[in-house]
Amino acid sequence: MKIVDCTSRSVREINEAIRRLVDGGEPEILVRNPGARHNLAVAILKDVAITIDGSAGYYAGGMSDGVRLTIQGSTGWGVAECMLSGTVVVDGNAGNGAAASIRGGTVVIRGEAAARAGIAMKGGLLVIGGDTGYMTGFMMQRGRIIVCGNAGPALADSMYEGIVFVGGEIAELGNDAVVSEASPEERAEIGATLARYGLKGPDSFRKVVSGRKLWNYDKKELDVWKAAF
Amino acid sequence: MCGIVGFFDKSGGPAPVGAAVLAMLTALSCRGPDSAGIALWGAEADGVVVRVNPGDGADTEARRREIVRRVSRLGRVRVSAAQGSLLRLVVAKAEPAELALAIEAVAPDVEVVSMGRRLEIVKQVGAPRSLEAQFAVSKVAASHGLGHTRLSTESRVDLSHSQPFWAHGVPDLAIVHNGHITNYHRLRRLYEQQGVRFYTENDSEVIGVYLARKLRAGASLGEALRDSVSELDGSFSYLAATSDAFGFAKDPFCLKPLIVAETDGAVAVANEEIALAAGLPRGYQAREAGAGAVGLWDRPGGLT
Repeated sequence: MKIVDCTSRSVREINEAIRRLVDGGEPEILVRNPGARHNLAVAILKDVAITIDGSAGYYAGGMSDGVRLTIQGSTGWGVAECMLSGTVVVDGNAGNGAAASIRGGTVVIRGEAAARAGIAMKGGLLVIGGDTGYMTGFMMQRGRIIVCGNAGPALADSMYEGIVFVGGEIAELGNDAVVSEASPEERAEIGATLARYGLKGPDSFRKVVSGRKLWNYDKKELDVWKAAF
Repeated sequence: MCGIVGFFDKSGGPAPVGAAVLAMLTALSCRGPDSAGIALWGAEADGVVVRVNPGDGADTEARRREIVRRVSRLGRVRVSAAQGSLLRLVVAKAEPAELALAIEAVAPDVEVVSMGRRLEIVKQVGAPRSLEAQFAVSKVAASHGLGHTRLSTESRVDLSHSQPFWAHGVPDLAIVHNGHITNYHRLRRLYEQQGVRFYTENDSEVIGVYLARKLRAGASLGEALRDSVSELDGSFSYLAATSDAFGFAKDPFCLKPLIVAETDGAVAVANEEIALAAGLPRGYQAREAGAGAVGLWDRPGGLT
């Protein structure tokens, strides 16, 4: 395992050092003393294991394709934003917009996620071990979100497609979000996913999907649109 | 953008809070280089401590003499000295409103920047790093403090428009704000009709005025913070403190970042965790405050 120490280095220098190791075929990299700085380990396009030894700031692991990133602390806004494939695991809590716009791969937040987790997801999987904040899954287009704890207000607001599973309480559903029970097959799949990351969820999960009323404009449903805006 | 930080020592101090707030604020410098300031609640002074902006480009010494001459009629001036961009006075005994009026009557650009028995605000144009050179902030022992580094978006960059803002009229109450208060003009018109003087064109100033009115009407800081979530409009994360309470409020859409960490000994709050890492030893748990969240820490017994 090779070590990149962030002390006295600019973010550009840190990322260049990481990328040099990745390009040289190094399979495992440890990033030391991250100090919650922004844009760490972004745009990694190879299957490589990177561990950040502490908290990271904004957009950690963003724009990546194939990386296996572990953050041994919390993250700021937009962790794993726009990821195409790979795995990003956050041991602590995540700030707003975790897994924003990801197209694939898996993002695991072991602690809590703040507002707008999984906003505009276009694929992939977001797993939240604890509670999640306001507007989780807002305008989600595809993919899955599993929330083991409680969900804040405006859950799955204006989502197009995709599924949000919630194990705890739902403070309030968003516009055009519809609830049903998860099927036994879906529950088994959730259980297997959680077990893979050493997480424990409740026995039952509710399933939230789009009611599809906002897909097409219908004059007769003006009130639905007014509420959504 | 703008950067805000806050640090609350649960022991009640005196603790090296000046150094903690300065380190946190310096870590957030990249959020705004236009102006920076720090509010610290230190040990109770023997009288009223007043920090005064002597006016842009004015003869500071002449202004100091004139202020002392006028204030002496209200109470004995124990200390009067220029420090950095500000004047600092300690007045043995005086009614706060009278004291502010007497000082601000010296010239239209003279402004009381802070007043209280514990609160002292220092601020300047420029990035946080020069606060130490001007005010030796890191040496100040206190129970809690706030910091602000500004990226101006709407109003001008000068000392008066810098934060923290003292809530004029209420000793020891100050705020720092990141965001934009969109019902500022409506609230300002309303308050001006009721005789409130606004000192700047900075929308953040209205938060101090709002809280001051709530507190004067008998609300606790916690109640005022909770009401503000629905009565202020726009995007905001702001911190506010009095001598014995410290808190934050966040807008209902969660548009501005605010990360909170509480340990056995302290509470640290900032826009970004990079500032918490600068103010707290490793091992804290950072978490982003939720939409419309309010936090409050107080010490009913006051400072020891």
